[in-house]
Amino acid sequence: MNRVAARAGICLLLVALLLFGMVFFLFEYAVNADAWVVFPGSPHVYNGGNIGCGIVTDRDGVVLLNMSDGRIYAQAEDLRKSMVHWLGDRKGNVYAPALSVYSEQLAGYDFLNGLYAYGRIGGTAKLTLSATVQQEALKAFGDYKGTIGVYNYKTGELLCAVSTPNYDPDNPPDISDDTTGKYDGLYVNRFTQSNYVPGSIFKIVTLAAALESIPDIQEQSFICKGSYDIGKDTITCTGKHGRQDIKQAFRNSCNCAFAQIAEQLGKDTLTLYVEQFGVVESLSFDGITTAAGKYDVSQASQFSLAWSSIGQYTDLVNPCGFMTFVGTIAAGGKGVKPYLVESITSDNMTTHKGKGQSGDRIMSAATADIIREFMAYNVSDKYGSDNFPGLTVCAKTGTAEVGGEKKPNAWMTGFVADEEYPLAFVVVVEDGGYGREICMPILSKVLEACKQSMIKNG
Amino acid sequence: MSDLVSVLLNAQDAYVHVFTAIFRWIAPVLASVLLFRCIKPLLTFRRVPEVWAQLCLSDDHKLPVTHWENVIGRSKRSDIVINIPTVSRSHAVLTRYDDGSWTITDADSKDGVFVNGKRIKIRALQSEDVISIGGVEMTLQPISKQQEQRLAQVRTKTSSVFSSFANVVLLSVFQCLCCLAFLIGSGSQYAQNILLGFGGIMVCQWLLLLFYVCIRRISFEVETIAFFLCTMGMAIIATIAPKETVKQLLAMVLGLTLFLTVGWSLRDLERAKKFRYIAAAAGVGFLFITLLFGKEYYGAKNWLVIGSFSIQPSELSKVCFVYVGASAMDRIMTKRNLFLFIGYSIIICGCLALMNDFGTAIIFFCAFLVIAYMRSGSVGTIALACTSLGFAGVVALKIAPHALRRFNAWRHIWEKPLAAGYQQTRALMCMASGGLLGLGAGNGWMRYVFAADSDVAIATLGEEWGLVFVLLAVLAVAALALFSVRSAAMGRSSFYTIGACTAASIMLMQTILNALGTVDVLPLTGVTFPFLSNGGSSMICSWGLLAFIKAADTRQNASFAVRLTRKGGISSE
Repeated sequence: MNRVAARAGICLLLVALLLFGMVFFLFEYAVNADAWVVFPGSPHVYNGGNIGCGIVTDRDGVVLLNMSDGRIYAQAEDLRKSMVHWLGDRKGNVYAPALSVYSEQLAGYDFLNGLYAYGRIGGTAKLTLSATVQQEALKAFGDYKGTIGVYNYKTGELLCAVSTPNYDPDNPPDISDDTTGKYDGLYVNRFTQSNYVPGSIFKIVTLAAALESIPDIQEQSFICKGSYDIGKDTITCTGKHGRQDIKQAFRNSCNCAFAQIAEQLGKDTLTLYVEQFGVVESLSFDGITTAAGKYDVSQASQFSLAWSSIGQYTDLVNPCGFMTFVGTIAAGGKGVKPYLVESITSDNMTTHKGKGQSGDRIMSAATADIIREFMAYNVSDKYGSDNFPGLTVCAKTGTAEVGGEKKPNAWMTGFVADEEYPLAFVVVVEDGGYGREICMPILSKVLEACKQSMIKNG
Repeated sequence: MSDLVSVLLNAQDAYVHVFTAIFRWIAPVLASVLLFRCIKPLLTFRRVPEVWAQLCLSDDHKLPVTHWENVIGRSKRSDIVINIPTVSRSHAVLTRYDDGSWTITDADSKDGVFVNGKRIKIRALQSEDVISIGGVEMTLQPISKQQEQRLAQVRTKTSSVFSSFANVVLLSVFQCLCCLAFLIGSGSQYAQNILLGFGGIMVCQWLLLLFYVCIRRISFEVETIAFFLCTMGMAIIATIAPKETVKQLLAMVLGLTLFLTVGWSLRDLERAKKFRYIAAAAGVGFLFITLLFGKEYYGAKNWLVIGSFSIQPSELSKVCFVYVGASAMDRIMTKRNLFLFIGYSIIICGCLALMNDFGTAIIFFCAFLVIAYMRSGSVGTIALACTSLGFAGVVALKIAPHALRRFNAWRHIWEKPLAAGYQQTRALMCMASGGLLGLGAGNGWMRYVFAADSDVAIATLGEEWGLVFVLLAVLAVAALALFSVRSAAMGRSSFYTIGACTAASIMLMQTILNALGTVDVLPLTGVTFPFLSNGGSSMICSWGLLAFIKAADTRQNASFAVRLTRKGGISSE
């Protein structure tokens, strides 16, 4: 019997295997449980592909989305529409990465209680967006497709970001049978995810590169006869601008002058500065990764290089990325990147505090000052300061040819130079036409709304 | 009026929350206390050797005989060591029977065993018979009836009746609270099923305890653990498939019947040995019938559908397999080869291979290894294991496409959260969502996952009752196994020891595959958790296996599957 009794120990091997396995699991649990809870699709956190717990408000505390029981959007239809690309919808057609990334804080997970939440409602995410500005922007945009973004270039707060077309998540349209094209890219957040041909707004980049690398650029003068020949090819201009210095050329948005500047800069220098300025780089904030733009002149001829310097050729920029570039100029060559989630609070505890990530210096303060002066001159001398009462706006418009039968994309980007309203902005209207005509009215209303919002907030 | 109604409805909502908020703390405490009270005596009882006889050598030296089955030999690992070169390493086996008689069997020794000068193979010993082993002469002096009674009195006492009652009361309170949690939490749609389910378990445990008291058995720890697991299983079914609570309760009643039947058959070793042949026939019979008439569900053809009932006969074969594998010492020592048993195992494995039942095959294979090791010691086992591994390989190859998918997903479930890793990723997400204390009865999401009440049952347990309960369930099974190992030292016959250890190993294997499979430590194989998983056959089998563990419990007045000493136990007339 002694032998058999001793051999009974073989059971202990299995006990050890079981206990070892459980300890291994407990270790994994201790390390990973918080990640498992919020893994995409986790049933208690997600709902139809989007996070399904917590509350989202705008910067003033207006409730945009309450997910503590179901998914209740804001009362106002225009607010629901203007926010859908940030909040996501019920079916997960629009994904809300900025909320999902904070799913742990929104879900209110803790190790002991898991997601059990008696007397708690999970977290409350406060966005930097302003509901009133969003509504105003949506109204101003009308039926156009495109996007507008405004952010505070000193703090990084994103005040306004609307992408159109959009829709009411409480009443989603049936787009399967649509042939009119009015729902094209309905689910795409154009502000962060799209790429557009920049057109003339890219002249800011070329200007900055020239100011940084060509010492006598401000003393030079450029002649525009309405066109400029490079080899057998011809760059065309919108008019005959005659002899002009770089400030005038920038004001006139003169293609011929910028083609000559591009020739002076050359491929490598221009590419180097595009990289240094981070114009086509992808940005990451609050779980959002913006689409990277494109500037590739490695195969370009001199002629193509000239086009690339005025935002045509194969150039592509992302609105959010370009806005950040312009905002950095406004901040003096070194600024902060935008962010969307101001804070997350749970049980009166702040579990997340948003902050604009500070960027590297991309150009000298002197260069930034000159560009600011030039852009201010654009508005005062050409676009009309009276469009922006009480604001010192510096801007550049663009009209980007996209080919085909479509009208050009209308652009306007820039910033407010006033100390108390440090706002940088970008507007792009697809199939819009002439930049200034289309964008100015929209921008004028939105900037006014931003101003009011900031006054209200002190 | 309508205001009042809505106020009341809201109030109900509030007290549901308050109840859940309190109960989620009480439940794990209550369960932990209960299990601690049950497990502690099982793991700490004092093991005092029982002296059943004495061997008197010619030089007046006396050797105590401490088991019912004793190997006499030169080897240090013999029960009675006679270290003389003429004695074989394992020379003879001295066996005691239920009626107090003794036999001696020659264990294929070199020089043979002589009784009163005659060489014998096996012989019943009379008093004064002179046994000669390797030239050493001795007589056997069994203890007298008085001594036997005294032995019963000093034998390791089991826990008190009071303690057993207290445990069952504690369990009943827990069951009532569980029931309440479901009833006030999830409305009354399935109130009847839930009440029947929990109430039925409660009635069964009290009836069994009363029956035990009537036959003067007072140890109830092992049963309480089993009933606790059944209760948690019921809690899982109540949330996943509330219509099936009554079905599961019926299975438990059938299981208890099997438990008592197997236990009764094991009381008498000679009877048990006869039962082996029936069990052997039944074991293969079940599988053959399944092969012929079985239905294939979810890739394995292991279901037998009779009318509206479907059973998994392979579960019942497990109980039979334990029966067939267990063996008494004289047989182990004289017939060292295991060819018959190996042949039997091959047939079983072959059947399972034809059924594509991978999980069950692993469990049988593991049970086979345990039995083979316990019977043969280390020497033959390796060879046997290799042989059997070959067969396991054939099984694995046969069912490769089915199993391969799961093996591919193993440790990669997060890469395929919507395909092969679906069940386990949901299981882990839900377990993590439940935290340590759970989301509350009926508040889980696991019901939308396939097999949430069987293959991945612990995820449901973790989600609604908390990780603490998962650990308690696993520890409960581990405790049953540890108890079997501890009992082995006091085992009377190797038949019981092998039986108990094999039964415990099968439960352990099921727990390992189920629990660790669910949490992706091992591949998911679709095996049930003993007592916990929803499934009638599995429930019946678990109780059948428990009978073997009970039969090895030799503590005084502990087990109905062990006879009290012939003339009375502690309360002898």
